[in-house]
Amino acid sequence: MIISVASGKGGTGKTTVAVALAKAINYCQFIDYDVEAPNADLFLKPDIKHVKKITIRQPYFFTSSGKSFKTCSDFCHYNAVAAIGNDVIFFSELCHGCGGCMLVGPEGLIREKEVVIGEIRKGFCCPGINFLMGDLKPGSMRTTTIQSELEKNIDYDNYVIIDCPPGNSCSMVMAVKCSDFCILVTEPTPFGLNDLVISIDVLNKLKIPFGVIVNRFGIGNDEVINYCQSRNIKILAKIPNDLNIAKYYSQGLSLVDFDPTWQKKFTNIISDIDKEILQK
Amino acid sequence: MKVCISSTGITLDSNVDPRFGRCAYFIIYDTSTDTFEYYKNESRDAMGGAGIKAAQKALENKVDTVISGSIGPNAFKVFQSSQIKIYTGVSGSIRSAIAQLKNNELTQAAVPNVQSHYGMVR
Repeated sequence: MIISVASGKGGTGKTTVAVALAKAINYCQFIDYDVEAPNADLFLKPDIKHVKKITIRQPYFFTSSGKSFKTCSDFCHYNAVAAIGNDVIFFSELCHGCGGCMLVGPEGLIREKEVVIGEIRKGFCCPGINFLMGDLKPGSMRTTTIQSELEKNIDYDNYVIIDCPPGNSCSMVMAVKCSDFCILVTEPTPFGLNDLVISIDVLNKLKIPFGVIVNRFGIGNDEVINYCQSRNIKILAKIPNDLNIAKYYSQGLSLVDFDPTWQKKFTNIISDIDKEILQK
Repeated sequence: MKVCISSTGITLDSNVDPRFGRCAYFIIYDTSTDTFEYYKNESRDAMGGAGIKAAQKALENKVDTVISGSIGPNAFKVFQSSQIKIYTGVSGSIRSAIAQLKNNELTQAAVPNVQSHYGMVR
């Protein structure tokens, strides 16, 4: 059972909910898919046992040959290769590492080299959480390449909690697409609702069942609640807008540390999701 | 001098386009003959690296000077590699930009005046 925790708007409490879920289940795999800004490790404090560097292959051009590399430049959809006379200016951050320039360019004058774009880290958290995270190197745009590497390590036989990146674009799709159920965390504000609606649209297209957790309940207005009720969208929980929760958060503590009754509430949410998925 | 100017249109009364890589047209003006040619900017809708492609095309047209509203770091790097004179922050008509260039009223840019992806916000 794979449960992803996503949110269109950033800062609504994805990691708060994902960490609390993992702690409530206890024996599960936790994956921080927010490789551009991973932070779940601050709360789960994993003992990292294994680090794997993730590389892509990028071209190296031998420009002293006196041959033009214009075919490479014309081919490159991402405009990473500027061919000026017989010289080349290569823009590494634009290169997707497709290898196309090697096929169309002058034979033998382009070699590939490995370039590190980030790493994935594996470890354990007490008592039984298998922890996995991706960390993209600042400046690199290859978010989904790191995420594909995480995907290869999903433990399909166990409960898996996926902490998604914010937003509704490629990196969010990568994070939710393997899940059996998605928990959308939102806040009851116009901004929260606007981005929730977009997330719901994405999940419907991907045919992934979902429920909503309203965080910071008490601020804003009733529109999120009304929207969900009018469309029969299940509200799994409402987390109150409590300054003490923020205080715990800032100390690297989880919602279940703050108030142990959340342990039970999240266990119930999981069993409800279990039932819903198994009925299908 | 052969000058590449990012332009909103195809005549000398068109305005200097504020964006280099994602401008509508390029006007190539030859100051020795006071004649010009134009071409459509094919990299306008590129996913990324529009400035790089546009700069390469300008170099293929053997320009030695470039005028635009703004040029980002990647196009700037391509032009610098060929010692092209770069003038940014220019606005108004193409005609007035050429006049200013001839009267030495423009100041050469030493660094890019906008960040990457500047021209993507339309």
